[in-house]
Amino acid sequence: MSFDINTIIYMLEIIVGGLLVGIGVHFVPVGGAPAAMAQATGIGTGTVQLAAGSGLTGLLSAGLMMSVTDNLWPILATGAVGAMIMMDSTMLTGSWIYAYAVGVPFASAKVNYDPITTFSQPPYVAPGTVGQGIPTVCYVSGTIGAAMGGIGGAMIYYPLVQINHNPAMSAIFAIGIFMVDAVLASWNIQGTIEGFHDPKFKKWPKAFKSCLVATIILAIVAVLITPLGGI
Amino acid sequence: MDAFGMGLVAALGALATVAGASEDIESDVGSQSNPNSQVQLAAQVGNPHRIYNKAIAGEPPSNALWCATAAIMAYVLIQGYHMPLLFAAAAGASLAALFNGVMATSAYLGRNASQARFNQWVYLDIIRYTTPSIMAHVWITSFCIVLISIIQVYILTPHHPFPIPVIALIWGLTVGAVGSSVGDIHYGGEREFQWRLFGQGLNTMLSGQIVRKAEAGLRNSIDNAWFCAKFGGPCTGMGFGLTVFLDNWRTTVFDPVNQAGAAIAMGVFFVIVMNLYNFYCELSARRKYGPYPGYKGDIAA
Repeated sequence: MSFDINTIIYMLEIIVGGLLVGIGVHFVPVGGAPAAMAQATGIGTGTVQLAAGSGLTGLLSAGLMMSVTDNLWPILATGAVGAMIMMDSTMLTGSWIYAYAVGVPFASAKVNYDPITTFSQPPYVAPGTVGQGIPTVCYVSGTIGAAMGGIGGAMIYYPLVQINHNPAMSAIFAIGIFMVDAVLASWNIQGTIEGFHDPKFKKWPKAFKSCLVATIILAIVAVLITPLGGI
Repeated sequence: MDAFGMGLVAALGALATVAGASEDIESDVGSQSNPNSQVQLAAQVGNPHRIYNKAIAGEPPSNALWCATAAIMAYVLIQGYHMPLLFAAAAGASLAALFNGVMATSAYLGRNASQARFNQWVYLDIIRYTTPSIMAHVWITSFCIVLISIIQVYILTPHHPFPIPVIALIWGLTVGAVGSSVGDIHYGGEREFQWRLFGQGLNTMLSGQIVRKAEAGLRNSIDNAWFCAKFGGPCTGMGFGLTVFLDNWRTTVFDPVNQAGAAIAMGVFFVIVMNLYNFYCELSARRKYGPYPGYKGDIAA
């Protein structure tokens, strides 16, 4: 293969996409298993699982858009919107269960006042828990994280298709790179986070560095290996 | 936009709703994912039980496996043997259900046998009548997801560039993520701990103290599926159905070639509306349940 300026641009796009995924995971409010029992604030599942669910829905939207246009911006935007729709539908229906079935007021245990609505939080936190439900700040943070994940997934997918013109293989490779960055970020936040207002969010530079190293290696492999199979 | 395309998008939404609901009930009747941590813990804190215990993997990877397995078989039958689409989807879903049955049984036997020291038994009757129910729900989920993939690739315009197994893998992962995030709360927060105080979260002191008695006799996972099918399952279906329907609706109503901007703007509009709806839910929950009565801090409610 020819290693020209375009190849370097493709690699840079993959790296930026990977970094967006890594940072985006920090925005997604996940409480892990305790949140499924209304013992912790956020969505009751794992970080990687939710980030992958939303980011890859965005990848499906981006793949559809890329089949009709080569313009980068609509592809990135539709990837972000697809991911945001998935994340918001999930959080909204989860909120229905918290509000109308389990019966808990939404409260964050990490801040005294919600930075967006300015509602007080500690009086609503039940003893023996670290908050419950999905307050507005977590919801907005999750939407931002989904947008970043969607843009990141689309940004990894776009150059791969440009290189090998094979959507199926590019999608599988994009899923792989997405998973690597999401898992690295998940280790950084130790599995749970409430969103950008959580003190753990300040640890993002560590994830940034590790995702950068991992994605550089993956980007080199991606641009070298894909033309061999891209028939 | 044409009427046929809109009909297909409506069918996608309906299939996704059914897939989401059956996915959640499958995870409830088999006790998978996050709430299963409590089922696993129960025997260890002195509460042996008759609830099925299978955590093959997290819900998203396991459902991605079932759906991709079903889609690969359907894809081979369609491309290699020119079988009818519906027959291929049904055959693929049957294969996925068989795979699921094998893994569910081995997971139940392995997990419960390893807890023998906590007096947890392996109940053969539980395996006999719960495993087919789990397999049946996996069949419904994989069938719907494969049909969604087939419609997106072969029928809906513009045709999706990904092959059927890749789309099924991604939708399987997504339906698992939705089921894990939405339906699990109903099973874990509501069904497993029915005697906690209403209007507050679950105290960590109560971990492992799950409800073991049913309306009649000892509770098993079929009772849990009966309960969760009333709200958790439909909510999961709604979450996944909204995802599939809204995402496809905007690119069907607005032509992605000429009206890409409008399709994206419509998506952003949906997102803003859902943000506002969640704010309404938060307000109504705070108003209904109020602050914790024993709160002694100095921050006003």
